[in-house]
Amino acid sequence: MNSAPVRAGVGDAFERFVRHCARYRKIARRRYPAGVFKFRSLEEAQAAREAESARAVSDQGEE
Amino acid sequence: MNRDELLRALRALEVQGVEYALIGATAMGFHGLIRATEAVDLVIRATPDNVARLPRALQAAYPDDPNVEDIRAEDLLGDHPAVRYYPLNGEIFFRHPDPTRRRRKLRDDRGPNLRAEGVRVRLITPRALYHIKKASVRPLDQRDAAALRERFQLGDD
Repeated sequence: MNSAPVRAGVGDAFERFVRHCARYRKIARRRYPAGVFKFRSLEEAQAAREAESARAVSDQGEE
Repeated sequence: MNRDELLRALRALEVQGVEYALIGATAMGFHGLIRATEAVDLVIRATPDNVARLPRALQAAYPDDPNVEDIRAEDLLGDHPAVRYYPLNGEIFFRHPDPTRRRRKLRDDRGPNLRAEGVRVRLITPRALYHIKKASVRPLDQRDAAALRERFQLGDD
């Protein structure tokens, strides 16, 4: 869902942003591993995020 | 990350005096470009004093989470300049400035300080955010970069 087109608008951006994220969580809440993960580079961190995002989406499909 | 938790984390950063700039989709949201995210991404000024404030801030924001004790300034200043912390809801990711952009100081990339519910929010500029997104290989970041370029009429200079 977060791959939907980015919306631009006017008004209180913060309130619109948090409302949008709240809707997202209701429809497609992801589960992440608790804890702290440390990376030696930004590239390593991005690769781990991609893998974790894919796993979280996969877990949704199994529910 | 829900609204209250986001504000609690940002308030803790403010109280501890952490020098940071909000990047990522949350920064886009504050800039008026809305897409869903559960992540709060921060770039922090990589000085010993400043990095030492970060664990204190997160321990104050998440006093009941024992995992937060594993966020250590010496790691951030040493071999692990990027750290992702997953509290109960969502995620917080923080890192040093991109090494390819270190010649630019963090303050050069800072946008306006905003207030949300009385909490000061330090934002990166749309232009700096655009360059971060554009440098990423993730398709999602490329879409974000395109949206930033269009909204703020940005070039590649």
